[in-house]
Amino acid sequence: MMNKRMIINDIKANRLVSAATFIFMAVTAMLLGLSIFLFAGLSDSIDRLMAEAETPDFLQMHTGELNKKQLMAFTQEREDVEKMQICAFLNLQNSQISIGSNSFVNNMQDNGLCCQSELFDYLVDAENKVIQPAEGEVYIPVCYRKEYGIKPGDIMRIGSEELTAAGFLRDSQMNSMMASSKRFLVSDADYEKLRPLGSEEYLIEFRLREGSDINAFATAYRDAGLPDNGPAITYALIRMMNALSDGLMILVILLISVVVLFISMLCIRYIILTQLEKDRSDIGMLKAVGISRQDIRKLYFSKYLFLSAAGCLTGIILAVITGQPLGTHMKELYGEAGNTGLIYSCMIFGSLAAEAIILLSVYANIRRTDKMTAVEALYSKNAQVKKNLWLPATVITAAALFMILVPWNMRSTLNAPEFVTYMGIGESQIRIDIRQTDNVEDKAAAMTEEIEQDKRVRDHVLMQTGSYKTVLPDGASYDLMIENGDHSRFPVRYTEGRYPEKENEIALSVLNAEEMGLKQGDTVIVCREMKDGGISEVNCTVCGIYSDITNGGKTAKGCLKKPDDATPVMWSIIYLSLCDDQLAGAWTGEYQQRHASFEDGVRVTLIADYLKETYGQTIRNISNASAVSAAMSGIILLVVILLFLRLVIWRERSDSSLRKALGFTSTDISRDYLKKALLYILPGIVLGIFAGIVPGQSLAAMLLRSMGAYSFHFIIEPAVVYAAAPAFVLIVALGAAHLSLMEVKRIRAYECLGAGKAK
Amino acid sequence: MSAILKVNDLKKGDILRNVSFEIGEGEIVAVMGPSGSGKSTLLYNVSGMDKPDDGEVMLCGTEITGLSEDEKAELRLNRMGFVFQQMNMLDNLNIIDNIVLPAVHADRKHKREYYAKAKALMDSFHIGDLAERKVNEVSGGQLQRACICRSMMMGPEIIFADEPTGALNQTAASEVMEAFIRMNIEGTTVLMVTHDSRVAAICERILYILDGEIRGELKLGKYAEGDSRVREQKTVRWLEDMGW
Repeated sequence: MMNKRMIINDIKANRLVSAATFIFMAVTAMLLGLSIFLFAGLSDSIDRLMAEAETPDFLQMHTGELNKKQLMAFTQEREDVEKMQICAFLNLQNSQISIGSNSFVNNMQDNGLCCQSELFDYLVDAENKVIQPAEGEVYIPVCYRKEYGIKPGDIMRIGSEELTAAGFLRDSQMNSMMASSKRFLVSDADYEKLRPLGSEEYLIEFRLREGSDINAFATAYRDAGLPDNGPAITYALIRMMNALSDGLMILVILLISVVVLFISMLCIRYIILTQLEKDRSDIGMLKAVGISRQDIRKLYFSKYLFLSAAGCLTGIILAVITGQPLGTHMKELYGEAGNTGLIYSCMIFGSLAAEAIILLSVYANIRRTDKMTAVEALYSKNAQVKKNLWLPATVITAAALFMILVPWNMRSTLNAPEFVTYMGIGESQIRIDIRQTDNVEDKAAAMTEEIEQDKRVRDHVLMQTGSYKTVLPDGASYDLMIENGDHSRFPVRYTEGRYPEKENEIALSVLNAEEMGLKQGDTVIVCREMKDGGISEVNCTVCGIYSDITNGGKTAKGCLKKPDDATPVMWSIIYLSLCDDQLAGAWTGEYQQRHASFEDGVRVTLIADYLKETYGQTIRNISNASAVSAAMSGIILLVVILLFLRLVIWRERSDSSLRKALGFTSTDISRDYLKKALLYILPGIVLGIFAGIVPGQSLAAMLLRSMGAYSFHFIIEPAVVYAAAPAFVLIVALGAAHLSLMEVKRIRAYECLGAGKAK
Repeated sequence: MSAILKVNDLKKGDILRNVSFEIGEGEIVAVMGPSGSGKSTLLYNVSGMDKPDDGEVMLCGTEITGLSEDEKAELRLNRMGFVFQQMNMLDNLNIIDNIVLPAVHADRKHKREYYAKAKALMDSFHIGDLAERKVNEVSGGQLQRACICRSMMMGPEIIFADEPTGALNQTAASEVMEAFIRMNIEGTTVLMVTHDSRVAAICERILYILDGEIRGELKLGKYAEGDSRVREQKTVRWLEDMGW
């Protein structure tokens, strides 16, 4: 009862300090709770969707002839296979598709039709129930609902055929915009009817028994010489793709919450030290009247415990409120989390953990009272070295700027045209894919000729991908998709080494290098099919390793395509840039029109659009997180500078009073404080810019590594990094200083004499 | 009369040099001396508030120089009281809460009894009507009497007072000294440091300290109503003899 009264009176007497402590505790609890809430929610929703849709453990895409008998024999032989199925996917030309009034001509995804799977890999509805479409109905991937404003009942046109959008589907494999294909679900009858409008490819899918080694299975599949004319994907990769676009935002929030936790601990430490300095004689008295060290600690700790409990509760409520809108997109894509009880428990645990960390540091700081003897506390002015209260201003200015710059730099990096080079794509303006046509090579040659005659094209290069058998140093064989061409024209980002220039050089994607166990300088034998029917073995040196997310991340680059080479070309890509950047949109549109017919098998893509579509959601999420982070750091900075300057003014009150007695005005004193504040804030800004770029980059690189982007460097916007963000921080800090300095006017000249001096 | 405080060869830096003396149970003793003579240091070291460099201090039958901080806190709580010149009380609590603070912290179960005892003590020192007042709403004399009430809460055997009237005007100082006399009459031993000869004159004995050594002792006998003037004159003369 008495403790309660003491706490309430103390909070009333120190409103600003108590409010700041409460805000720190609430914000920390909110952020940590929120990140755990979102993370647990996302993880649970994805797991639930993947469980209910029965996502395959191993998936091999394949275009062309399919030997079903061979596949069945392989399946029957393997004890680890529980189920196997072959799903057909009817690849459509985007220019043929429209839904309602929306044309898909500018859509970057491989859109196609499929029927509901028989055994597993189901396409499910909003309740995660398996959909069985009726004739004339189509179910649209849920990710297109918002993008195109599609409503049930809209008409989907494929060429001259029409289907009615009956609803939306969740695809546990291809839900994420980072997955490059999207499946539209139709009835078996409609599929048969529409089959002539597209080209069919196959998804050879396996569900393995529990505890099976997926990697061992993938190796066995490859070694068995089964159809593998396309990328292979595993359950883990699908899960990662699903988690990434929203997961990255959660990681950014987590990063911010760690910074805020650090700021809170630092601020509360200084608050406590100042409080103890102020209450030193009270502590001395308490010791002198026989109150034990534990009881004194308890007395001080109980106030922070109370503030922490209130902050934690507020933080949890705020986390629930903010978690709802932030989680909407996840909910739509992956469904409601099943285990809400557990998720809320995790969130509460996160908030409590944040408070526990803060309270531990509070306790450690309060223990300082133990060291003082009663006499020291009562009478010795120099019993404690006074802490420099300006230092937190530097550190927190830097931390606030860091909180603004890291998400912003991530956003600008994902937004920058050169980001594609981390993704395994050359930095060109436009790419033309030539696939799904009977003769890729001839079509590519014709296309190249057409481009060469186009005066608007400044530079172009043809890349041809074929599947080559390789022999590793240990004698094992490995099928490698090698993209052949002149890699010097639009180079990708190499984490090690450089692009291949000669026939006996090869560059590998990070994933392939890892799987093949090769590093730069190692050699591998590549087997080429020759026109005379023979096989030519080329001893290739690994000259470079690059990051790639295309084709499941497993690619290679070489210069093997020679006139005598007969290895079939699976697909070709032409990368090009125009003389006039402004023309890119119109040029793309023109070529899309010209090659709209499906038989052409040509897709013309503006790289900027490709990025926007692939990373659009991620960029939007990070933009949201970066806006929240900027607002949060602004508030924190305001509170901290306000608080610490008040504490400084309080501590130097008698000096200021003396100066007033000697004839200084409030403006003179305020000006001196402002100069000193700038002296500490400006280095904070410099430190913040540095931290936002250098350690911030390392942290972001760690996050982006999970996306497959290796050896990552920030692509910064100098106007924001060096001007706008520091200016924002400076304005907030000076605004807070101005508010604090209003207190100087209330200091009276007579206070230095002792009368009316604030205790 | 058995000794409640026995000090033997007490040393603390250059401030106290081989100080030895005894205080009997029920005595009221003043320590006097010029500024910097070591009188406050002596009080802190014999009361366990500070740790001496050498020597022995037997307080209430316990050798206290070797006690841990917690053991000393226990001793301060239960067997002794302390009154300061600066009348330290917590601003966040009212007067009565401040008075019961150490007692309630030590034993929450008997909170009600402690509040009743505090009220009775306050009444006996004529400040009963100030119980609910804030610390900054009472006079210096009233606050110092409240501090005395706090020191009396656990029924201490001895009270140490460091310049208890040093920050008070004459009227307030008289009120406080009356409180000390009553306390002593009721059996509590008092050792106080003062530089006020009128305050010292009410004591049974006065120890004179100079340069960290006890240089003299004046025995005045028990205080009785009406002999203040004579005791004061005697004290002043003695102090002059001692060279003050």
